[in-house]
Formats: sequence, C-alpha cells, structure tokens
Amino acid sequence: MRVSIPASRLPLPASRDESEIRQRFAQLREADRDSAPSFAQMSARARMHRGLGATMRVRPLVIGAAAAVVIVAVWLGSARIFSFHPVTPTVAAITAWRAPTDALLRTPGSEVLGAMPALSASVLDKMIQTPTNRGT
Amino acid sequence: MDDVELRVQLERVHADCFGWAMSCCGRDRDDAEEVLQTVYLSVLDGRAHYEGRSSFRTWIFGVIRRTAASERRKAWLRGLMVERNGGRGTGEVEIVAADPFVAPDAGVEHESRRDGLHHALAQLSARQCEVLQLVFYHETTVEEAAGVMRVSVGSARTPYARGKARLAELLGDRKEL
Repeated sequence: MRVSIPASRLPLPASRDESEIRQRFAQLREADRDSAPSFAQMSARARMHRGLGATMRVRPLVIGAAAAVVIVAVWLGSARIFSFHPVTPTVAAITAWRAPTDALLRTPGSEVLGAMPALSASVLDKMIQTPTNRGT
Repeated sequence: MDDVELRVQLERVHADCFGWAMSCCGRDRDDAEEVLQTVYLSVLDGRAHYEGRSSFRTWIFGVIRRTAASERRKAWLRGLMVERNGGRGTGEVEIVAADPFVAPDAGVEHESRRDGLHHALAQLSARQCEVLQLVFYHETTVEEAAGVMRVSVGSARTPYARGKARLAELLGDRKEL
C-alpha cells in the first residue's frame, strides 16, 4: 500500500548547495541563541510597559473627551450668539422710518378726504366754526 | 489557554521567536527586541489571542511578522516627518559606536560566514528571504511557512525554490572570491 505524502513534506534532495545553506543558517541560529535576551528579561520589560501602556491607552480617551467638550461649548456659544442677533431692533427701525419727503404729500384738506363723512353732515362743518360746533 | 500556560509556551519558543524577530527586523537587534516585547505584551494582555487553529509557534511567528510590519510602517512615517522637518533640524550627525561587548577577534571566521549569508539574503526578495529563513533557520515545512506568511502553499513554494537556487548561487560566488 502506498501512502501519499505532500510534496512539501518530502525530504529534499540534499545537494551540496543545500547542505551549505543549512549549515550557514544553523550557524546563524546558534549565534542568535547565544546572544538572545532571556525570556525573563523580556517578559519583565513587557510587564513594565503594561502599566505604561494602560496610561497611554487612557490618554487618547481623555484627549477625545476634552475635544468633544470644547466642540460642544463652541457650538453652544455660537448658537447663543446667533439666537441673540438683533433682528427685532432692525425691524423696529425699519417700521419707524419715515421718508423725509412725506411732509410734501400732506396737502391742505387731506384730513377731510381721509375721514368718513356722516350722512347728515356737510364737509364744510369741520372747516367753518359755527356756534353749534363750538358747543355753545 | 491560561496565563501560566501561555508563559510556559512563550518561554519554550522564546529563542526561536527572537531569531524570527531578528529576521523580520532586517537583523536589527534593538528593533527585534522592541517587536518581541510588543508581541509578548499583546499576548499577555490578551489582545493577541491564540485559538489553536495552528501550532503555537506558527501562530506566534505570524503575530511577530505582523507586529514587525506595523513597526516598520510607523518608523517609515516617523522618517517622513523627520525628513519634512529636516530643513529646521540642528544638523547633528548620529555616530554609531562599535559594540564594546564583542571582542574584535571573536569568531572572525564565523562572523565572515554569517556576513556572507546576510549579504546574500539582502539580495533576495522579501518573500524569498522570509520563506528561506522559516524553512532553513526555523526548520518549518513550506506549508507552515505559508501559514506564517499568510499566503497559499503555492505562493510560498515558488519563492522557496527560486530563493534557494539564487542563495546557493550567491553563496557559491562569495566562496570563490
């Protein structure tokens, strides 16, 4: 019975070149192992950075929250400024304004033309002072 | 997996993790330690959670690879910022001192052979380099390497074959020199 082995698991033909490569990498591995820092040393450093890391992770949150507060404050401030914009005084000033030439439109007897006359009255009654008018 | 078991597993693969972190960080020791520390922190904090879908080593290698890529992106952005502010800099030049803990004549031959390998690996593509490192350094299968690299087995096999051939050629060339 034949068992199929994946090509990558098959032993490679150990050519002279390949054994040279293996030997060189083995030397490099040995050199690295000799100079590698100990696990205890590395994990101690990692532990030391763990506390520092927590502070560093909190810092962006604090900065973000502060930025949000500033943005909201600026937005509220600007909203208040715009809501108190003096619209009413402008409207009042416009409605109160009179053209200087209005006086020219006031003609003699304009009050007679502007008022509704009574049926039994004459337009002359208001112009001519009679004893009845004077209330005597 | 509880915290104690997680620590035991991490301790067991620690040396391998360091080697892989070195590879992911272009053999920069400081960067590798930084990446490994970040990885341990995220594993112990529970931000990186092992679900048992692959071996623990394959999973942690994937986490290291992603963390290293993320650190590279951050470093690139920092570099971009520094470049942008370059005109306003102090004009100081960084001087890198030699490592005082390494004896100058210690294992000269071994160092030269390692340098030869680094030089040859630097001439390969990133994917070829990764798959060769996983297969030859960490002695994984191509399938496991594909799992770490998050690519299909076919996508790992081609760079493996081409990278191996090219590496053999480059190492042969250096030996002749």
